[in-house]
Amino acid sequence: MPVSGKTYRRIRNIVLAWLTLVALAGFLLDIPRINILEHTARNLYFHVPMWFTMMAAFFVSAWRSGQYLRSRDPLRDTQALEAARVGAAFGVLGLATGVVWARFTWYVGQGIWWNFDPKQTMAAVQLLIYGAYFTLRSSVEEPEKRGRIAAVYNLFAAACVPFLLYALPRQMESLHPGAEGNPAFSDITHPTMRVVFYAAVVGFIGLFWVFYTQRVRLAILKERIEDAFRT
Amino acid sequence: MKEPFARWFAGAWAVFEKDLRLELRNRHAAGMLLMFVPASILLIFFAAGQEPLSPRIQAGLLWIVILFAASIGLGRSFVSEADRDTALFLRMHARASMVYAGKLLFNFLLILALDVVAVLTMMLLLHLQVAHGGLLASAILLGSLGLAGAATLLAALIAQAATRGPLLPVLLFPLLVPLLLSAATATRHALEGGDGWGASAESLTTLTAFAGVAITAATLLFDFIWND
Repeated sequence: MPVSGKTYRRIRNIVLAWLTLVALAGFLLDIPRINILEHTARNLYFHVPMWFTMMAAFFVSAWRSGQYLRSRDPLRDTQALEAARVGAAFGVLGLATGVVWARFTWYVGQGIWWNFDPKQTMAAVQLLIYGAYFTLRSSVEEPEKRGRIAAVYNLFAAACVPFLLYALPRQMESLHPGAEGNPAFSDITHPTMRVVFYAAVVGFIGLFWVFYTQRVRLAILKERIEDAFRT
Repeated sequence: MKEPFARWFAGAWAVFEKDLRLELRNRHAAGMLLMFVPASILLIFFAAGQEPLSPRIQAGLLWIVILFAASIGLGRSFVSEADRDTALFLRMHARASMVYAGKLLFNFLLILALDVVAVLTMMLLLHLQVAHGGLLASAILLGSLGLAGAATLLAALIAQAATRGPLLPVLLFPLLVPLLLSAATATRHALEGGDGWGASAESLTTLTAFAGVAITAATLLFDFIWND
């Protein structure tokens, strides 16, 4: 086990308590009412951390893939796969919270759900890459070969994706804060909101850690049970 | 004893020559691409009707045709080695980076041939007007290099997968989004006229960097696919 049961349970309890406090603060604390945004501004605490968490998961997955290629330890492959799975789930949640938020603020009165905003597009591309990664894994039977091929794809994707950060903003206009002509995030955000927001980022990355560690531990236990039955 | 680089180059060249000779013998990939590209452009011609298309749409369609044709044509480059059981033989005689370089060169030339056919057919059928020939050529050259770099690695990867039919487009397209965006923009500027070079400087930089990173990463990672 990479993480002992005791440590896992302790960190899990801390994360759950932390996120409860974040949710309470997020919904109960008073926030400045900005025109159009109004109370939807509270979505900042949930939508943006999803995006941060997906990127963190993506880095963990690529890092584990690199470790797998060097060591050929099956544990590393399991870790890369589980990080990608949990990251994809956070990516779907981030996209969903973003699409609904945009529908009732940016595109209110226009009736559209999706407009090619660079950050939204990048999240969609990232999800497509996760999808390709899972499809590739399902097409190889042999575990060693599957781990190797999937790790190569994962690392190659990690090398290609950063170009989106450079290419996309030059092709598309953005309504996100910090884009050209829009005020930066820190200029428009109330100090209270900023504190809750940073706490939420830490909390959701912690939640990623909990799910990720839980799934890796589960995969190891399953493997052990199968081995026990085989012998 | 020759210089290490000269020996490496000779090995890569031999792999390229072998692929070229096989291709000239049965003309499988060239024949398929020669049919696929005009057929798909003819379909666009019928689907879009007689309306003249804007340069933005034309540039986008040109790159869509190139990406689809490449993802179909290049998928075979390593599968054919596995089918004929020649992969082991190649592994004994050439180092991984030589194989990658040789295959990359062959695929790059194949994509360039495809580009020429696509541009000529589009000029004929969809009235593609080229304002900056040099800019169009640079956008296509750089874009095709990046495309070949990524597609060659992924083709080697799917040659090892059990179900390898339609896998290459699924793996390739999400990674090529930055390439497609920059290549389509530079192509649009080449078609529109005006200050084409100045306006597409950033796109050409992105294309160059993408090709460099894709080929470097692929060379490093190719070892892990080829040598086990």
